[in-house]
Amino acid sequence: MKEVPAKVEHNNQWVVVKLGIGEDRIVIPAPVNREVLFKTVSDVAERKNVLIITAKTETEAVYKILSVEKVIQVLKKLILGSCNAYRLMAYFMSPAIRGGVLVQNAQWEKGSVVVVHSGIWFVSPVKQICVPVNDVAAIELTKRDVQGKPTDVVRIDHLESGEVVSSLVLCPLSTLQVLYNFLKETTKSMDMKGTELDGVDQQVAMLIYSGMDSHAIENMLNLPHKQLDAIYDKILKLGLAEVVTIRREVQLTTKGVRYISDATKSQTN
Amino acid sequence: MGKILIVDDTLFMRTLLKNILFTGGHTIAGEAGDGEEAVARYKELKPDLVTMDIVMPKQNGIEALKAIKQIDPAAKVIMCTAVGQEQMVKLAIKSGAKGYIVKPFQAPKVLEEVKNVLTT
Repeated sequence: MKEVPAKVEHNNQWVVVKLGIGEDRIVIPAPVNREVLFKTVSDVAERKNVLIITAKTETEAVYKILSVEKVIQVLKKLILGSCNAYRLMAYFMSPAIRGGVLVQNAQWEKGSVVVVHSGIWFVSPVKQICVPVNDVAAIELTKRDVQGKPTDVVRIDHLESGEVVSSLVLCPLSTLQVLYNFLKETTKSMDMKGTELDGVDQQVAMLIYSGMDSHAIENMLNLPHKQLDAIYDKILKLGLAEVVTIRREVQLTTKGVRYISDATKSQTN
Repeated sequence: MGKILIVDDTLFMRTLLKNILFTGGHTIAGEAGDGEEAVARYKELKPDLVTMDIVMPKQNGIEALKAIKQIDPAAKVIMCTAVGQEQMVKLAIKSGAKGYIVKPFQAPKVLEEVKNVLTT
């Protein structure tokens, strides 16, 4: 077992430890005192250089490990290779398309696709890319030209810094179908029936995406303020947007009117 | 800042682009609702730049782009595409498009692309 320097979150504080990494487990010494078998890990997520591992034996425990990139990379590779997840060997290309345009020099890589609770991981000997389930915008079983032949692939679109990024997975059709169904099921919470928003609601959503503020949306769609508010309520209720700023409309009091009148007089005198 | 012709078959998209471009300090030279009208309006208005939807009735954006390039080989045309139309983008770039923007639009990306194309 190799020992590497790391920090582990314990009682909401980061503690420095010598983390033991074995072929099938990690050993977190005092004050945590835990051995985590990779096969008990049900979820793996990454935030910057922090690896968040959820392991389930009798109870569920979450471990946050902070270390240098190289250590995190080794841990990810070992855990994703043995954790309790849906896993299949496949060729993948990630990212394949960014903002609707093919990524130059993107290549098919041989590796595995690992689906855990919070994300879809693309794992090859040299990289591990995670698409968080909450960022998945679309999953489609489609065809792509592979070596000049139209070939079945699964396309996964996700949002990255507000941009749509697509990844492709290539494997035998029967496996693709299973993967597609599994991913659809995993991301089911993001599905909408398509009937919740009418035409004007959709236009409002599109204008919000485009960066328009309430005033611009009212003007562009010729909407009364109250109607726009009602549409905002609907969009918020569906979880499609979140409140960023609450603006106020005010009117002057008598004191305010007097101040403005005096100010105008002094300007004109 | 440039004089821009907006080509899209939906009024909503044209209005949105107009708003974004106007806010960015550009002048709207005119609008067209299909490829044929775009070519006619280009001849008439001689804009600095065209934003061109790809999927349109009568003449699609790629055909209109080719026609405009025949009239003015130096024409600056930005294609507006939907997600998943990456093959169309490749074709448009081969046909002389200077850039592309992806629907749904985000104002900063539109203005950045317009600026890039106008300054090249």
